[in-house]
Amino acid sequence: MKGIELVKLIDTSLCTACRGCQVACKQWNEVPAFRTKNNGSYQNPPDLQWNTWTLIRFQEYEDAGGKFTWLFRKDGCMHCTDAACVRVCPSGALYHTPFGTVGLRKEKCIGCKECVSACPFNIPRYDKATDKIYKCDLCQGRLQDNLSPACVKSCPTGALTIGAREAMIKKAHARAKALGGDANVYGDKFVDGTHVIYVLKEKPEVYDALPVNPHVPLSVMAWKDLLKPLSLVAAGGVLAASFLHYIIHGPKTPDDADNQTKEGGA
Amino acid sequence: MTNHYIDLKNSDCILIMGSNAAEHHPIAFKWILRAKERGAKIIHVDPRYTRTSARCDYHVPLRSGTDIAFLGGMIHYILTENKFFKEYVVNYTNASFIVDSGFHFKDGLFSGYDAKKRKYNKETWVFEKEGSGIPKRDMTLSHPRTVFQLMKRHYSRYTPDKVSGITGVSKENLLKVYAEYGATGAPDKAGTECYALGWTHHTTGSQIIRTMSMIQLLLGNMGIAGGGVNALRGEPNVQGSTDHCILYGNLPGYLKMPTASLDTLEKYLHKCTPETKDPQSANYYQHYPKFFVSLLKSFWGEKATPENGFGYHWLPKMDDGVAYSLMHLFDKMYEGKIKGLFAVGTDPAVSAPNTAKVRKALEKLDWLVGENIFDNETHSFWKGPGVDTKSVKTEVFLLPASASMEKEGSQSNSGRWVQWKYKAAEADGDAIPVGEITIRIMAEIQKLYAKEGGPNAEAIVNLKWDYTDRQGRYDALKVAKQINGYFLKDTVIEDKGTKTEFKKGQLVPTFGMLHADGATSSGNWIMSGSFGANGENKMAKRGKEDPTGLGLYPNWSFCWPVNRRIIYNRASCDMNGKPYNPKRKLLEWTGDKWVGDVPDGPWPPQADKAKGKYPFIMKADGLGALFGPGMAEGPFPEHYEPLEGPLAKNPLSGQLINPAIELFKSDLDKVANADARFPYVCTTYSCTEHWCSGALTRWQLWLLEMQPELYVEIGEKLAKEKGIQNGERIKVSSIRGEVPCVAMVTKRFQPFTIEGKTVHQVGLPFNYGWLFPKDGGDSTNFLTPTVGDANTFCPEYKAFMVNVTKL
Amino acid sequence: MKKGLIKATDAFERIVHWSLAISCLVLCITGLGMMFHSFNFIGDLMGGLKSLKYVHNFTALFFVLALAFSIKMWWREAGVFSMPEDLEWMLCAGGYLWHVDHPPKVGKYNPGQKMFFLTVAFFGVIMVITGFIMWFPLSLPVELVRWMYPLHALGFVVIFAFFFVHLYLGTIGSPGSLPAMLHGWVTRAWLVKQHGKWLEEMEEKGTLEVYGEEKRAAQGH
Repeated sequence: MKGIELVKLIDTSLCTACRGCQVACKQWNEVPAFRTKNNGSYQNPPDLQWNTWTLIRFQEYEDAGGKFTWLFRKDGCMHCTDAACVRVCPSGALYHTPFGTVGLRKEKCIGCKECVSACPFNIPRYDKATDKIYKCDLCQGRLQDNLSPACVKSCPTGALTIGAREAMIKKAHARAKALGGDANVYGDKFVDGTHVIYVLKEKPEVYDALPVNPHVPLSVMAWKDLLKPLSLVAAGGVLAASFLHYIIHGPKTPDDADNQTKEGGA
Repeated sequence: MTNHYIDLKNSDCILIMGSNAAEHHPIAFKWILRAKERGAKIIHVDPRYTRTSARCDYHVPLRSGTDIAFLGGMIHYILTENKFFKEYVVNYTNASFIVDSGFHFKDGLFSGYDAKKRKYNKETWVFEKEGSGIPKRDMTLSHPRTVFQLMKRHYSRYTPDKVSGITGVSKENLLKVYAEYGATGAPDKAGTECYALGWTHHTTGSQIIRTMSMIQLLLGNMGIAGGGVNALRGEPNVQGSTDHCILYGNLPGYLKMPTASLDTLEKYLHKCTPETKDPQSANYYQHYPKFFVSLLKSFWGEKATPENGFGYHWLPKMDDGVAYSLMHLFDKMYEGKIKGLFAVGTDPAVSAPNTAKVRKALEKLDWLVGENIFDNETHSFWKGPGVDTKSVKTEVFLLPASASMEKEGSQSNSGRWVQWKYKAAEADGDAIPVGEITIRIMAEIQKLYAKEGGPNAEAIVNLKWDYTDRQGRYDALKVAKQINGYFLKDTVIEDKGTKTEFKKGQLVPTFGMLHADGATSSGNWIMSGSFGANGENKMAKRGKEDPTGLGLYPNWSFCWPVNRRIIYNRASCDMNGKPYNPKRKLLEWTGDKWVGDVPDGPWPPQADKAKGKYPFIMKADGLGALFGPGMAEGPFPEHYEPLEGPLAKNPLSGQLINPAIELFKSDLDKVANADARFPYVCTTYSCTEHWCSGALTRWQLWLLEMQPELYVEIGEKLAKEKGIQNGERIKVSSIRGEVPCVAMVTKRFQPFTIEGKTVHQVGLPFNYGWLFPKDGGDSTNFLTPTVGDANTFCPEYKAFMVNVTKL
Repeated sequence: MKKGLIKATDAFERIVHWSLAISCLVLCITGLGMMFHSFNFIGDLMGGLKSLKYVHNFTALFFVLALAFSIKMWWREAGVFSMPEDLEWMLCAGGYLWHVDHPPKVGKYNPGQKMFFLTVAFFGVIMVITGFIMWFPLSLPVELVRWMYPLHALGFVVIFAFFFVHLYLGTIGSPGSLPAMLHGWVTRAWLVKQHGKWLEEMEEKGTLEVYGEEKRAAQGH
């Protein structure tokens, strides 16, 4: 897997929500568990947390025709090509790896939480105790050692697979086609393509907490693409204008400035 | 399993009933999904929509405890719609046998019932025989007393309307499943069934499985790739422990535990060794004495001689007609008759039915020895909730045991694959393997008996007990070899004219070479062949070759019997040995030998009247038993209501509950059938995240995070009726006890219409106990009754009546 | 101090000014360190970018205080335009950009300074609000939080640019101005040129304080 752009494919039609991935993730990455409550759902912890980088979402869904299905979706970092989190990260803690995934250098994270709101998928989670954010890095250490991520390794049914980007996208489309109905591929089109893609059995809008049309937020673009350069242009412009003013127009000096202190020490 | 996990992928239709395969056999479920990828239909019949249902083609809800009605309806459908595989049924089953004229079935009872004993006299459950002693057959199946006609008559009562009224399954759903599954009666189609505790945990558990076996025989699905009846057995090495006689009535390898009336070896062997006059029946159990004597030789070695009946009289005997199941043990303990208990890797204070009775019973013990990785509710019963610690006199010892990955040994999966594994890590602290604990304790006991004597002292003093290595530690390989068996004398084996000589001390390479004269030993005959004569450990084999392309992987581990991956495999071929389905060729007779899987014996196929044999070699008659007189409650499975159900009358007969089950009578064995105080059907189950009583998994915080506490799944309609909110703490109660838990209001439980009335069902997992976590809830078995299957005494955890109330 | 210098500011005023100025500068510099990866090195000077974040966040608290005092103190003098002279002044850009013989006489703060004050006050408040939301964003709607970043950045663009204008005009662009915020004493000539109206007002009210002369009124500010 070294040196190639990867895609992890989540085939929801094969997922049995055994949550082996959820545990394997914690085990490999050595993250602790919290004491939880049962809130009337199998989904636990109820949401992604700083110590839960991947989570199976359980959703009881009845379609318009009254047909019931129990939907399972493995939530976690989508590893965008155009990643809002990488765009906003002030310290370079979030970065694009050679695998196309979004890596996280924890030691660099300053806990500013900018990525938390920037992420269109609501993935990064902040931990107060360490003042850092956490998210899936697709087991980068394992990828570097030519191993599949812990979640993929643990998946008993083949719902999770990983491979070269083009091949996986092709596989995803073939699978969606074979499944028929509303089955679709999610992730190959927006944010210049994600490095985690889904084969969804139902339309994206059916799933909880899954944006139908995710994109880098306008606010991020306004800030990073417009205001950031503008700040330099403005400051530089003012400095230049001041200089020009000084040399062209000259300073505004008092009329009888001859015997007065002009500047200097206090 | 008649087949094995990988073989599930070969099926055309998989009926998952009595199992939540995706949740409890997540790895095995991969193969089910592979079948689905190939276009197989996957059907889930279960009271509750589960993670399994989510991946199946369709889910059919049925009321807990009505499986026989559902399957009986399928038999009715298969017979009336002519979906059965006639050639197979005629030639490979006892459908054509003529049953004794005294046999009858009236209003829910078969002939010979003794209401006082709650037992049958089975003397009319027999076949008419020719003068030669061979059963009479009518190959046209038209004689009114043929098994076929009796069966047809028996199940004619199981009409879709009737079945729908009992099970709560809509007629439409019934016929959909029947049609889908019935279609596998075509010779080139394979249908299989996966069950687990959802079938065994019933008062009619064994008969449910038998009903399915009958369906498989009718459809010609037995003995073929992608077919069979497949028990998905659990992670706790259920297959291995059953093979090695965890059940009270068994000796290793499913040999029978002797009873007091069989006071000599001869009597015992005569009783246990079946006979046939039919030359075409292999009747493999005719070799029973070889297996049994070899077992005795493995127990007592040199001390077991022909003169002393190989030590037969040293074997403990059960009282005739008395059972010794888990429930019986706790019943007797509650009576104060059992004074000591070894609880090895078990937590009955959570896992046994009727927790209140079990925990009270434990208080009556003088001593209790636990062997476990963790403390659990059983070892700590004396400080449990509601226990007056000061009044408990029981002395408790907890011996720390190492976990499965901390020791070497074999593990058996459901497909009968016995796989050798090595120690992966050292155990913490003083923990040692339970094998080692057993070796040490028995060695001490032996010394004490040698010194002080005692009842049946010879049995103990003479015991062959040399399972330690040079350092005096438990040696798993030594035990495994003893289980495999040795030649105890130089022996020459003749097979098809070739002679092979084995030296004394060599390992027996297959159970076919065991002797009844003391020349061999074998601790478990079915495991004979797990080693080669040269000492090769076949359980450690890891070859990935797949010559048949069916996923048999014959070079991966050892599979009992004799590495046969699919049992009854001769039935996959026609009478001439040609495979019924050439596309999934499991076995084929090439004129002089079988090619494919290891066949059920080397004999030619059945068409060869001189040397050929019938396919079901373990049956005395050599044929699949549609008529099964071995069962406690009758040769044809019949629907009876659970001990506790919503109905006051069985819609099919005057016999409400299984007439052959034993009813326990202690003051804590209360029952509330069709009682307005407890109007809801309840079932219990495990969840993916925990293992059995949770005694091992509740300490694992990652797992606990996902399933932190006891919950009850309850349908939206019932919740609305009761004003119960999702996530609210409520109480579930039966006449025996109550458990507080979290309400999980779900669309996945829908009410049933039973005999025209709405019946709600709820369900709880049984993975929690008071010891840890403190706020996780206690045993669900406070609710369950002490009652079990009539044949196995497997407790009824799956159908009983409760009420749910807001706290 | 030379005799004849006139007191333009008191100590409190200068302290507030410099508190605001320094905190603003620190915020700008540390903000830059977080805004551009190429300025991340600024964090190294503080022992890492995380410390820089803390410097930024806690300096912000200081900035809030300084801003509050500034607004309270300067609101009347610099927050309200006085007509018509301010308008006239603006029409001729105070004589800064082209030659004007006699720019209108204005009060203590000219309209340019007033605009700067208002900008700082307005964007300062924006920076404070957006900044605090950015500091504690987790319980707020993400759509709201997202827009805090560009707003904060916009405030930075404006304040940072104005900062240089202010720096220039407070120093070499307008000689004689700096002492007003250093020691508070300015020349009469500078005052005549820059804030003629104020000088007249002070003389009228008798609040003018001249170094070396007896104070004619109890208090200046």
